[in-house]
Amino acid sequence: MTDWLAYDFAQRALVAGVLVALMCAVLAFFVVLRRMAFVGAGISHAALGGVALGLVTGVSPLVAAMAFSIAVAWSIGWISERGRITEETAIGILFPTTMALGIAIISLSATYRQDLMAYLFGSMLAVRRTDLWLLFGLAGGTLAVLALFFKELVFISIDPDAARAAKVPVTALRYLLLTVLAATIVASIKLVGVVLVSALLVIPAATGQVSARSMTGMLVISIISALIAVVAGLWLSWITNLPSGATIVLLASALFFAAFVASVHSSAPR
Amino acid sequence: MSETAAVAFEDVWFSYDGTNILEGVSFDIRPGRFAALIGPNGAGKTTALRLLLGSMRPTRGRVRLFGAPPGNQDEVIGYIPQRITVPRGFPLTVREVVLMGRYGRIGLGRRPRPRDHEVALQALERVGLRHLGNSPFGTLSGGQQQRVLIARALAGEPHLLLLDEPTAGLDPAARSDFYNLCCTLQRESPLTLLAASHDIEAVAHHADLVILINHTVLAAGSPHDVLHSPVLQDAYRFPERHHEPHHAHQGAAL
Repeated sequence: MTDWLAYDFAQRALVAGVLVALMCAVLAFFVVLRRMAFVGAGISHAALGGVALGLVTGVSPLVAAMAFSIAVAWSIGWISERGRITEETAIGILFPTTMALGIAIISLSATYRQDLMAYLFGSMLAVRRTDLWLLFGLAGGTLAVLALFFKELVFISIDPDAARAAKVPVTALRYLLLTVLAATIVASIKLVGVVLVSALLVIPAATGQVSARSMTGMLVISIISALIAVVAGLWLSWITNLPSGATIVLLASALFFAAFVASVHSSAPR
Repeated sequence: MSETAAVAFEDVWFSYDGTNILEGVSFDIRPGRFAALIGPNGAGKTTALRLLLGSMRPTRGRVRLFGAPPGNQDEVIGYIPQRITVPRGFPLTVREVVLMGRYGRIGLGRRPRPRDHEVALQALERVGLRHLGNSPFGTLSGGQQQRVLIARALAGEPHLLLLDEPTAGLDPAARSDFYNLCCTLQRESPLTLLAASHDIEAVAHHADLVILINHTVLAAGSPHDVLHSPVLQDAYRFPERHHEPHHAHQGAAL
């Protein structure tokens, strides 16, 4: 069962997978609390536009995707704060536009067409050694921000006006959360793909929500279920030759439905 | 030297999309008073509170909290909204909600200390809900949730409490309980309260200062004076039969 770990690329994929699972699981807590699932989907699809721009300009696709995703995330935040359209409408416009831009640019070049599938659905072959360093940096930064400001982020998610009255910097923290959301999405792209990463930003926390009776419990279950889904999903990808994003998300969903059925069963009147 | 007002609006104008929501609003509230900001729906009550919270800035004029711009005052401000929305089934406990009231005092990025937990529990005790501390917030009734939000505000040991339609959606008994609790808390500590509400009868019965606004201040003074002011009828466009002496319709929400 562990023979796949004899290969360098599989070891890199496993390390990347653990980092991605940790980032997504903790961030998913806030995505569920703030009902930001559509925001996550919007930013992840927009990242493809950044990847495409990186490929054709010679800039690292992940670095370009990061800049592009943060710009889109901040635009969503800015529009929903001040604009005359709702956040959902803003995402509904930016999401397909930026993704279409990415597909158009990549499709124009035969060289990059092969890469498109990997960026869309993830591949355990895609993680390079230099990607790992970037991932370590992103995971360290994201987890540090979320740990440091956890209580304030919960407060602004539930009652921003009361948080503002308590002198919590609501707007700054909101943009910080959007930034780490963009960073997490970019960190996950190679392994999970832009189409499926949004699932990892919801499903682990939903599994925690239906299983736990406290926020800490929800967070712990979210992390454990994400780690199981990613590690087992990579192994499944190895033995079935399916895209790693698909196997990871299918396992995460299976864990959610098992937890959901168990919670319904345990709360049913006896 | 005169005492600094807890709340001061000085010729405040606020426009949104070219429409004036507030037009030259001026009033002040001395520390220790229970003021009611009343007016019909759309009169600008919530806008006035948002200006005090610092989430919006006046188009013209000045808003001051204890003599300083909102957010720059040394005094602690507590805020009680109409309700807070927690996703269904989210495992947020009552104690965790109340502890949020301490976050302003704990400081950014710092962990709650034992004293913070102790103060939060005391605040829950004051609103009579200590026994529900470990219950999920979402499972409480509307009246209980409002009490938890009072406890949250009290946990911050505030100098000023801002309340935005705090009893909307509550039944008359729960409304009365809520305001009685506010009055008790005000007697026990040097607290200033400003409650925005369109529920004239309930809030005016408990406040000692009433400010009637409809984009601009129409009347301000004692509850008796404002409720008997001829401008009240114009503001709410009451049918003539409702313009009765205050004592004739006590207990009824207008």
